[in-house]
Amino acid sequence: MLTEQKLTRRNLLLSSFAIAGGFALSVKVPAIGAAAKFPTVGTPFPGLTLPEDFSAWLAILEDDTVVVRSPMPEIGNGVLTQVGMTIAEELRCDITKLAPEFTSPERDAMDNGVFTNAVTSSSLAFFCGRSTDALRTKAMLQAGASARERLKAAAADEWGVPVAEVTAENSVLSHKSGKKLRFGEVAAAAAKIELDAEPELKPESEWTILGKTEPGKIQNEQIVQGQIVYGIDVILPGMKYAALMQCPVQGGKLVSYDESAIKDMPGNPKVIVVDPTEKRIDPLIPPAYGPMAWPMWGVAVVADHYWQARKALEALPIEWDPGDGAKWTDDATLKEYAFSRIESGEIEPTVTIGDQTAIDSGEVISAEYFTPYCDNAMLEPLNGTALVTDDSVDFWFSMQNQGQYWSVVSQEAEMAPENTRLHQTFVGGAFGRHNWGDEGYMITAVAKKMKGTPVHVIWSREETFAQGRYRDAMASKLSAVLGKDGYPVAIKAESVAGPLAGYYQHPMLMGLIPNATAGWENINTHILTGPYRGPGYNSASFMIESFTDELAAAAGIDPLEYRLKLYSKWVDPGWVKVLETVKEKAEWGKKLPEGQAQGVAICNWAADLQAEPPFFGSTIACVAHVEVTKDGKLTVHSLDVAFDLGKVMNKDAVLAQLQGGTLFGYNMSMNEGLTLNNGAFVETNFDKYPVFRMGDVPEVNIHFEGLSGDDRFSETGEVGVGPVGPAIANAIFAATGKRVRETPFRNADLSWS
Amino acid sequence: MSITIKINGEQRTVDADPDTPLLWVVRDYLGMTGTKFGCGIMQCGACTMHIDGVATRTCMFPLSSLEDKEVTTIEGLGKDGLHPLQEAWVKNNVPQCGYCQSGMLMAASALLATNPDPSDEEIEQAVSNLCRCGTYHRVKATIKEVAAAQKG
Repeated sequence: MLTEQKLTRRNLLLSSFAIAGGFALSVKVPAIGAAAKFPTVGTPFPGLTLPEDFSAWLAILEDDTVVVRSPMPEIGNGVLTQVGMTIAEELRCDITKLAPEFTSPERDAMDNGVFTNAVTSSSLAFFCGRSTDALRTKAMLQAGASARERLKAAAADEWGVPVAEVTAENSVLSHKSGKKLRFGEVAAAAAKIELDAEPELKPESEWTILGKTEPGKIQNEQIVQGQIVYGIDVILPGMKYAALMQCPVQGGKLVSYDESAIKDMPGNPKVIVVDPTEKRIDPLIPPAYGPMAWPMWGVAVVADHYWQARKALEALPIEWDPGDGAKWTDDATLKEYAFSRIESGEIEPTVTIGDQTAIDSGEVISAEYFTPYCDNAMLEPLNGTALVTDDSVDFWFSMQNQGQYWSVVSQEAEMAPENTRLHQTFVGGAFGRHNWGDEGYMITAVAKKMKGTPVHVIWSREETFAQGRYRDAMASKLSAVLGKDGYPVAIKAESVAGPLAGYYQHPMLMGLIPNATAGWENINTHILTGPYRGPGYNSASFMIESFTDELAAAAGIDPLEYRLKLYSKWVDPGWVKVLETVKEKAEWGKKLPEGQAQGVAICNWAADLQAEPPFFGSTIACVAHVEVTKDGKLTVHSLDVAFDLGKVMNKDAVLAQLQGGTLFGYNMSMNEGLTLNNGAFVETNFDKYPVFRMGDVPEVNIHFEGLSGDDRFSETGEVGVGPVGPAIANAIFAATGKRVRETPFRNADLSWS
Repeated sequence: MSITIKINGEQRTVDADPDTPLLWVVRDYLGMTGTKFGCGIMQCGACTMHIDGVATRTCMFPLSSLEDKEVTTIEGLGKDGLHPLQEAWVKNNVPQCGYCQSGMLMAASALLATNPDPSDEEIEQAVSNLCRCGTYHRVKATIKEVAAAQKG
């Protein structure tokens, strides 16, 4: 069960699904990877026997194409481009010859953990993680350097000259005599050469691609022509489609169904039941995150075409027993329970810093906050394809972590690891959804009852919403005692939330305030939760940064100046620089008409102060400029964002991630919240679960001037979502005097007089 | 029912149930997967194609209504090479995950075909597709850039 997860909170915080990117700057190189032809569906992972293989990471073909293998999925963050840039930095190939593709866990296992070993000393030792992870970057640079030296040695052999006289640049090997050879011409010979010692990597100061160029995504040209293969685009010979339905109340059971009702419908419909009570083997492969999912009751209709399967499923009478989950009748029940647990005073502290009685030593300022369950709402609905035979299973899916799915698919198909072949497709949005492996169980469970036939299982959008692994709901009470100077001397956080929320990765509760207490209790509903862009962080940032604003107001100090002084004592000087940057760029304090105001928030993703040396992660601040009419209509005019990742490797990739992260945080805070109705959620499509459209979004200004230049390339995927909500809430307070302590803001009465 | 439709300039015959939405006819029967399934209720726009030049959300458009109509999908948008919007999309690194982008491009191209100099509001209205990654600013800027370039 989720409460027994092996994954620690800290591990999860550090396990990112995003990348960081480039510091500076110079020219764009849009032609990167012009040679890229992405693997067609149905081909097994290429590799093991290719004579051109230099290592698991790369192969060079006769026409100079450089095949680069990424263990990370492409979820829209530019991972493939980053992998290509990193290899090219040391290889010195023509970047238009790069052809990245996805590798697989079988390759990793057969090659002695070549990919996972690259990151064993970090918490990213699995088939996921960010593309600028320091250890992974080093492994890729080394793979490129090694291949370059072997190419040079092969050319030197061919010419009978000392290898030191051979240079490599732009996929060409040259000798001072004027001799030249293309990489592809000596690749086969070079791949056979073993070096006496691995070459030294050049220092970062000599990089010419990483941090110096900002190429667009290598797959853009295929995307704009509709040629990219996402999970849903997998079509195999003889393939059947399945439409799947699960109990609308999670954890419920199938009672009955009547197959006779659909037997005459077109497409040869056939019912397949997924029965979680059937006996299953234990996993043969340890799942990357530990056991995070299990098979659930499900009814699938398999037919020749998807529309036929879907219509037959809709026509199929099915009776469900909702089970215990139905006791959560509505949101009020949930909130009442959560806050009653907080008021009980029974929540055990997990963070205790300084004097635990200090919080009782003066006038206490308290506030209660709540964030609801949310859905990842990635645009590609849940779907995947499996082919199970007597000897093997093949699995095609928009995975975020192949390591998890390798375990799940092997277990459900009862197939040995080497006969469990995963095919990573492009991912039509993820935001954390495709990590736990739940879809792997369901897809394989259906396909294994159709042995020898590939089955593409598609959840409708309604089913995708109903079967989420949702962002945890979180209820929290924050309390503080201020000293004479108006700054906190003691702080306390009490939270009731799902397993991925409820904690505070924030300086206020990490030592900045001398006396601090924080505790968390699992809300223990039947709702299944999982990662959602910035797990835990996305709720906690709203709460702690709204509360900081309340403290500043109580102290009668400008909220931005309050934070500047507060964080001037923090171990990471980047916080002040980020605040100073956003203060200047947003023209903090500028005169605005009545009903308009600015608000600020600052937070951090993935810092690890226990690391040696301390890792400062990604810090980000936002200033929101809002307008609230007297009858309560809220307009957000602009969001100014400054951040510190240390340095960046691809500036435009970072910009895109922060633009996207900011809008994700904006939608989350303004719009998103699922409503409980007798254990099920009311919102099952975009008509009821609003996502902003182009005309609804404010001006977003991302400012790079907050970068500290610190020696890290921290990640960008999650961090953007954190400060947007609290910055808007704090601006609403400044404009109206009203505190909004709950998301989504669209539910709040903001009228004022 | 067996029906012949004109799609991307070619005559194709499809034998499918008459209520099958055009989206699934194109993806599942004709094997062209560039057009995406997102919501099934004409909310998200991932399934946008041109029907007689008009940007249309096809997830609820039944095959039976398609007689004598011409369909263009993302696969047929660039007639000789890339459409100017596609080129600009690549240059400006517009896509993130890319899943919604076919629909965005089909909506944007239908707009520019009839309105070469759209206002911001006209762009927002015509390209009201959902993008969860947050590409809206780049999409709008790129449409305006192409419109300006075409105006010369």
